[in-house]
Amino acid sequence: MKLADVEARFYELVTARDSVAATVAAGGPEIRRAVEEMVAGDARLPAIARLEIYADMYFVRIHDVLADEYAKTAAALGAAAFHGLVTDYLDACRPEHPSMREVGTRLPAFLAGHPTTAHRPWLAELARLERARLEMVDSADAETLTLESLRTLRPDRFVTLRLRLVPSHTLFATRFDVVSLWRSDDPGAAAIPDSSPTTLLVWRREIEVLHRAVDGEEADWLRRLASGDVSFAELCDGLGRGRSNEAAAARAFELVGRWASEGLLRADSPA
Amino acid sequence: MMARMEGFAALGQGLGLRPPFYEAAATGAAPIAPVDWWEVVSENFMGEGGNPRRVLRAARAHRPIVLHGVSMSLGSTDPLDDRYLDRLAALAAEIEPAWISDHLCWSSFGGHRGHDLWPLPFTEEALAHVAARVARVQERLGRRILVENVSSYLTFRHSTMSEPEFLTALTERADCGLLLDINNVFVSAHNHGFDATAFLEAVPRERVGQFHLAGHETLPTHLRDTHDHPICDGVWDLYRHAVSRFGDVATLLERDDHIPPLDELCAELRRAGEVARAALGEAGA
Repeated sequence: MKLADVEARFYELVTARDSVAATVAAGGPEIRRAVEEMVAGDARLPAIARLEIYADMYFVRIHDVLADEYAKTAAALGAAAFHGLVTDYLDACRPEHPSMREVGTRLPAFLAGHPTTAHRPWLAELARLERARLEMVDSADAETLTLESLRTLRPDRFVTLRLRLVPSHTLFATRFDVVSLWRSDDPGAAAIPDSSPTTLLVWRREIEVLHRAVDGEEADWLRRLASGDVSFAELCDGLGRGRSNEAAAARAFELVGRWASEGLLRADSPA
Repeated sequence: MMARMEGFAALGQGLGLRPPFYEAAATGAAPIAPVDWWEVVSENFMGEGGNPRRVLRAARAHRPIVLHGVSMSLGSTDPLDDRYLDRLAALAAEIEPAWISDHLCWSSFGGHRGHDLWPLPFTEEALAHVAARVARVQERLGRRILVENVSSYLTFRHSTMSEPEFLTALTERADCGLLLDINNVFVSAHNHGFDATAFLEAVPRERVGQFHLAGHETLPTHLRDTHDHPICDGVWDLYRHAVSRFGDVATLLERDDHIPPLDELCAELRRAGEVARAALGEAGA
């Protein structure tokens, strides 16, 4: 028997949606004969039972990793529903990345279209928040601009300061208040979150992963900073629409001060 | 006695670096005194930044590091994953590990990953396939690697050689070393009914560059390699025999689940050192 044929048959059986026994039974006597010709079994552990060990390990290992990475979503769904979700997910989205951590990359999008969440659409957004937080853990590092270093800048340098975001951040829109749900000790028993469209910012400051909701204006500016860089003067100009110059400058200082204190600005922002 | 391969020093007793030990490893604090070296799962440190890389760089300042992978998929009929090898090479360039290891298994098919260590048939075809891939990996990494025997729960009827025969031929053809997992030998011996001591006797003495020690779960029908129990007496006995045969080899304690406090694992590490010293004393007597 060729190696490629062995691997194809083994893979098909141990990653099937159903148990190896059920898959073999569905395949008929020819499949059973082929399996027993391929795998050595004995009275203690017949061939199919030996393959079943691998099938169980495949599912349980991935299920447990996803349950850990999506702990809040799993708690909100309940154990049985989460088990069903993982079964469907593995059927539709086979792992492709060598790192186990990437197994769950597509789960939030999959969950958004899954029948389990038809009446609980916020669960996909909760999963997305959990995924975003996980991805920040080992995202790229950058030196950050501190509030102290900003305070030492001369006013003329401050005006031309280029503002750039650290790479370890992400922004995404949500339709529900999933931050409250995420904070809950028991997401399964938590009240239905309010419908309140917002943008969530997730980022890492040193080794701590953080998130918060941002208003529409801040979200727009964060997206501009993320896609390139913006000078402090441009920020003031942009914020000046509908505001006095003084109010725009105050808002710009407020935003930049907050971003710096939160570790969101890169230190290599050229002045 | 033939000399052991160069590049695999007798580092003493090491421990798998897991999150509960990150801070102690990073600071080199007193509780890690019995830990002579750390082994890390390579894939867990391939991210660009953040705490894992910070810890690894800091731990490296205090102890030697060994990179132990689970995703090279040396036995797969899928192409080798060049992007994975690039990331591994970059990690190795930064960390300068004592050595790099992975498993004699396959874990991918048709572009999909199993995240498990699946068994190979021990045939001439599989041997030629794995040996060529190990040679390519070694060329890419610019160093000899260690290949580990896995715990298995089935064997293939069309195998034409035993596992030690396969391992021996692999090390010769690919010019690689062996990471001999004592617990895996014990588990597989039970599951397939072979003699674990005879397995050790059949492995080439000069090719063994590292040992693994771990615990397993005893089920009614088989043993399961879980790394979530203390090492059992049978594995300690086998380890004693392995040290007598292979000499002073770097030994690593693996614990991946139900991880006890560091001092409990350090007690097991100290026991490993005592067993090794006693076995070496007896062997030299």
